[in-house]
Amino acid sequence: MSTPVMHKKKKFGTGTIWTVLAWILGLGFFFPVLWMVLTGFKQEADAYSDPPKLFFTPTLDQYRAVLSSGIGTALMNSAFATIVSTILVLLLGIPAAFALSLRPVKKTKDVLFFFISTKMLPVVAVIVPLYVIVGDIGLLDNIWALIVLYTAMNLPIAVWMMRSFFLEVPSELLEAASMDGASLWTSVREVILPLVSPGIAATALICTIFSWNEFFFAVNLTAVQAQTIPVALVGFITGEGLYWARLSAAATLAALPVVLAGWIAQNKLVRGLSFGAIK
Amino acid sequence: MTTTEVRSTDAGSDEFVPRSRTISKAEGWRRRGPLLPALIFLILVTQIPFLFTLYYSTQSWNLVRPGSQEFNWLNNYVDVFRDSQFREVALNTVIMIVGTVIISVILGLMLALLLDRKFIGRSLIRTLLITPFLVTPVAGALIWKTAMFDPVFGLINFVLSPFGVEQIDWVSRFPLAAVMTNLIWQWTPFMMLLILAGLQSMPKDIAEAARVDGASAFSLFRELTLPHLRRFIELGAVLGAIYLVNTFDAVYMMTSGGPGVASANLPFYIYQRAFLGFDIGQAAAMGVVTVIATILVSTLALRLIFKSFSGNEEAA
Amino acid sequence: MAAITYKKASCVYEGADKLAVDSLDLDIQDGEFVVLVGPSGSGKSTALRMLAGLEDIDGGAIEIGGKNMVGVPSKDRDIAMVFQNYALYPNKTVGENMGFALKMRGVSTEERKKKVAQAAEILDLTEFLDRKPGKLSGGQRQRVAMGRAIVREPQVFCMDEPLSNLDAKLRVQTRTQIAALQRRLGTTTVYVTHDQVEAMTMGDRVAVLRGGKLQQFASPTELYDNPVNAFVAGFIGSPAMNLMTVPIGSGGVQIGDATLPLEREVMTKLASAGLDTVTIGLRPEQLGIEHGAGFAAQVDLIEELGSESYVYAHLDDPKVKGLDGGPVALVARSAVRAPAKIGESISLTKLDGPVHLFHPESGDRI
Repeated sequence: MSTPVMHKKKKFGTGTIWTVLAWILGLGFFFPVLWMVLTGFKQEADAYSDPPKLFFTPTLDQYRAVLSSGIGTALMNSAFATIVSTILVLLLGIPAAFALSLRPVKKTKDVLFFFISTKMLPVVAVIVPLYVIVGDIGLLDNIWALIVLYTAMNLPIAVWMMRSFFLEVPSELLEAASMDGASLWTSVREVILPLVSPGIAATALICTIFSWNEFFFAVNLTAVQAQTIPVALVGFITGEGLYWARLSAAATLAALPVVLAGWIAQNKLVRGLSFGAIK
Repeated sequence: MTTTEVRSTDAGSDEFVPRSRTISKAEGWRRRGPLLPALIFLILVTQIPFLFTLYYSTQSWNLVRPGSQEFNWLNNYVDVFRDSQFREVALNTVIMIVGTVIISVILGLMLALLLDRKFIGRSLIRTLLITPFLVTPVAGALIWKTAMFDPVFGLINFVLSPFGVEQIDWVSRFPLAAVMTNLIWQWTPFMMLLILAGLQSMPKDIAEAARVDGASAFSLFRELTLPHLRRFIELGAVLGAIYLVNTFDAVYMMTSGGPGVASANLPFYIYQRAFLGFDIGQAAAMGVVTVIATILVSTLALRLIFKSFSGNEEAA
Repeated sequence: MAAITYKKASCVYEGADKLAVDSLDLDIQDGEFVVLVGPSGSGKSTALRMLAGLEDIDGGAIEIGGKNMVGVPSKDRDIAMVFQNYALYPNKTVGENMGFALKMRGVSTEERKKKVAQAAEILDLTEFLDRKPGKLSGGQRQRVAMGRAIVREPQVFCMDEPLSNLDAKLRVQTRTQIAALQRRLGTTTVYVTHDQVEAMTMGDRVAVLRGGKLQQFASPTELYDNPVNAFVAGFIGSPAMNLMTVPIGSGGVQIGDATLPLEREVMTKLASAGLDTVTIGLRPEQLGIEHGAGFAAQVDLIEELGSESYVYAHLDDPKVKGLDGGPVALVARSAVRAPAKIGESISLTKLDGPVHLFHPESGDRI
């Protein structure tokens, strides 16, 4: 007579500690975010309480106030900048990653190094000339300035990530395609791209996260018209001062799109950050 | 069926003159072609402004005094090195980066190890854990400053009050630590995901062989797991450091660099000089110094990780 | 279908100083099934890939149907290749995989479907046409790889160790299918393997390569009966031929206390070559196990295969050396079960068949 129940009981001891610990840490890390979301549903009086209130009557007043305060433009701007810059990154980056992996150029390592080195340049060092140049071209407070900068900002990491995905394609596959009579361009389209599309999606997600959340360029190079969400959020503070609940509601709305995107595409995110280590 | 008896001729090797194996010029350009748009774009957008920064750094130029733009040569740089605040800020920056990276790698490692096993709610916990990385840094800094660290209404004080801790104004008393707490909170998920990728890419049969050979869980970790994870940890540390050099949002939101410059890092300090103090020349010089320092340090670091993670991995 | 000629073809890998393929000369006739065989590093795969256009022809030339292929890209050579790991397009169905090359040529969809269906029927793949490679077994994937090659109706088939990823039983089965298929289609085929059994059973003619150089190019029986040097002699045939370097005595060669007699013309040839030792080769089936007359040996191991057995023994004589200079391990074949016991001292005699003689240093046939 087999006793599977006994088997499970034996494992109960050691495993549970780690599970409980994982739960505690997970909830702990998430807690600040949770608190922020909850606070957005409070009345100001409830938000400012000592000791902090866990139970309260929720209200949608704060969210209504935030949404009616004209956050719409910022939302459009952020979305536009994020989407267009990500598309540009893919358009420029995919061929570059291809050149650096499948048909190696002579100085591949040096080029890769250069790409990453552009990220090591503290942006603050170039913000002044950028401000001047952007102003001279007349693109201050214009979303296109941000688009160009975000593209440059994300391009190195994107190329690096996509290169690792290209390197995963078995070379035999390309040889077979070339023997079947496919030109280089056709091989790319029919064979390579379908294989690396999850990797490209992951790269796009990472670019989205960094573009949406970017603050420094946005705050210095935009004013009212091209304002992005993070800037609008900060504007809320100086304007609203210590209206904590409303601030929380605004912060929640600001963070929501990317958090949701990250949650939904979680597996892609994990895959993207693995740089090809996990198949 | 005819048979052919062939003896290998050694003379063949002497007569052999290999065709040129170098890629023709046309092929070389065809290969480089796809790379050029990205490369040129990046050079234009990143290098040209820097050239301007170099130019500005040699001038004494303060926007408050129009028409004051004149060549100052290297005086700005001398001022930079004499500026004691600059030194303090530089130190803050180093502490911020190194401290954040080290602590978030350690925490990330712990979390990755915990997540590497199957348990109830595992995917939910992972979802929760990656959130700090996704939240807009400005919003995150806000949460920490107000909800957590506020002297009166903050949760940290609330949680610690049973232990007899009175109302501490964390942000004023421990500004650098407060900013770092926010940064660690934000970057730990990133390290965790990278290390988790490393753990999951470890070939299982080696671990099984070790266990059969009698290795304890601890020595397995030390001898097999850690060496394998090394390249992932290095990658995380370098990438994290690259992004952390530019930390601005947290300092801006939480402390505005204060009190004084206790929590200011280089980006914020230079920003202050340029946009609040309008001293373009000085700011530019500081920027150049920062760039040089960053390049020196990271060149060493990057050569290191290229050795372990250039995409030409051996059996992993 | 076309004849293939390798004319002093050579290939060197970038950065290497040794030639991967060294002045290869092969004359392959139209419709022939030629096997390139050799140990790892012999250059056989490289020679195949040079034919397919996947490696550059650095020296000499390769002609297909009389046309020089130097500088001609793979897609213009009208060659179909079956890869060792099959190289199937993972995101396409079996039908799409097989029809891909035709699609590249602009063949119409119905024509494509027809040809794919024909090939699928020959290979028993019709029920899998809508499946993706990920959902197929190893043997099925191998057939798809072959199907992809057949559909193209090329002038040459190139096959790079297509059976090495299959389990033993499937390998034997598929081997016969491939040979039958080639006979039916009549397409010139160049096949690479490291397994000499495959080479012997499948090829019309076999080319043995070593270190990038051609050793011998002949029919399987010719290779078996008249190996041109000690390497080919030891490579072809399983278990391998017994090769040993022995001192020349009067009237024959000395093995231990016994003398193996050789004909007078042979002795004269040896004498005129000025040799005092010679490498002799005897196939396992040429050694008989006795107790009494013959050269003394001690049994190390006995392998029973059911239909026959192999006795592994070693000679005690220090003057007899193996090809590597160490002691000689001999294999004798016996039709009897339990022909001897382990540790037993037996005598080996030479049964019917020629004694192969090779120069002790160069290995060439005498």
